[in-house]
Amino acid sequence: MAGPEKEKRKLPKPSFPQILKKTSLAFLAMIPMLVSIIGLVGLLQVTVSPERLSSVFSGNALTDTLVGTLSGAVAQGNPVVSYLLGGELLAQGISLYAVSAFILSWVTLGFIHLPVEAEVLGFRFTLYRNVSAFFITMLVAVLSSFTVQALT
Amino acid sequence: MKGKEKPFAFRGKFFIALAFVVYVVVFFFDQQLGLLALQKSGRILLKILPVFAVVILFTAFLNYVLKPKQLVKHLGEESGVKGLCIALISGVLSHGPMYAWYPLIEDLRGHGVKDSLIVVFFYARAIKLPFLPLMIDYFGLIFTLSLSFFILTGALLQGWIVGQLERM
Repeated sequence: MAGPEKEKRKLPKPSFPQILKKTSLAFLAMIPMLVSIIGLVGLLQVTVSPERLSSVFSGNALTDTLVGTLSGAVAQGNPVVSYLLGGELLAQGISLYAVSAFILSWVTLGFIHLPVEAEVLGFRFTLYRNVSAFFITMLVAVLSSFTVQALT
Repeated sequence: MKGKEKPFAFRGKFFIALAFVVYVVVFFFDQQLGLLALQKSGRILLKILPVFAVVILFTAFLNYVLKPKQLVKHLGEESGVKGLCIALISGVLSHGPMYAWYPLIEDLRGHGVKDSLIVVFFYARAIKLPFLPLMIDYFGLIFTLSLSFFILTGALLQGWIVGQLERM
């Protein structure tokens, strides 16, 4: 053992309950943000119907991919709902490009929680993440739809 | 652990006030729509409460078993391919809405986890393992496989882009 003068005084490692309490308090502090997101998501879900959604698509694959990405980013909820809506949009003749963009941006983007994301993770991070996710979502939607068309 | 602890304070009072004002306006014009929205929000909250519990437990567990130095080693600047793999796999395995993960991500960033890996984690979350059979049923196997492949590729590409932007 090294001499007592050289030995650094170590703080005792906090116990798991202490860490859990600290984590729970940090989470509790974010409750107003989370509740506001949930409230707005709930409002959006009862406002946007599949019929209203399909009316925003024009039939042009290119612009529909853009519209699909935007509408998926605005809409929020369980991914299963996006599959149901996507299936319904496909049945109404909306292109696979647009539907892919819609179901993908549903889970990768979220306009409703943008302000909260910026508050928690910083404006610059939120800007970089969302702008890059927006373009990559369109790219992924186009590439996967193109692959399906090429293979079937 | 850092030195002084911040006193407890609620964050996002502005957002809750904004949501409250929106609801007041909705109730003013259409009371039934407002009630439906409140019910829907209540159901969403109940559904994601278990996710919140998992996130709290997971964050506490990570803080308990991993020292900040270890986190930086696995997910920091020098993490390399290993860090990318961890971010991709944890993204695919994570469950619940994106915002439920903000507290954990904020905590990890505070410990030195790099932003490009967080971006990879967020994008890889687009693959929802429990819902893949449903996706195959709706859109077919080829679509599901190609979409999943391009999501993983897209996650890596986005991580690279954000990494480059961070260096600017």
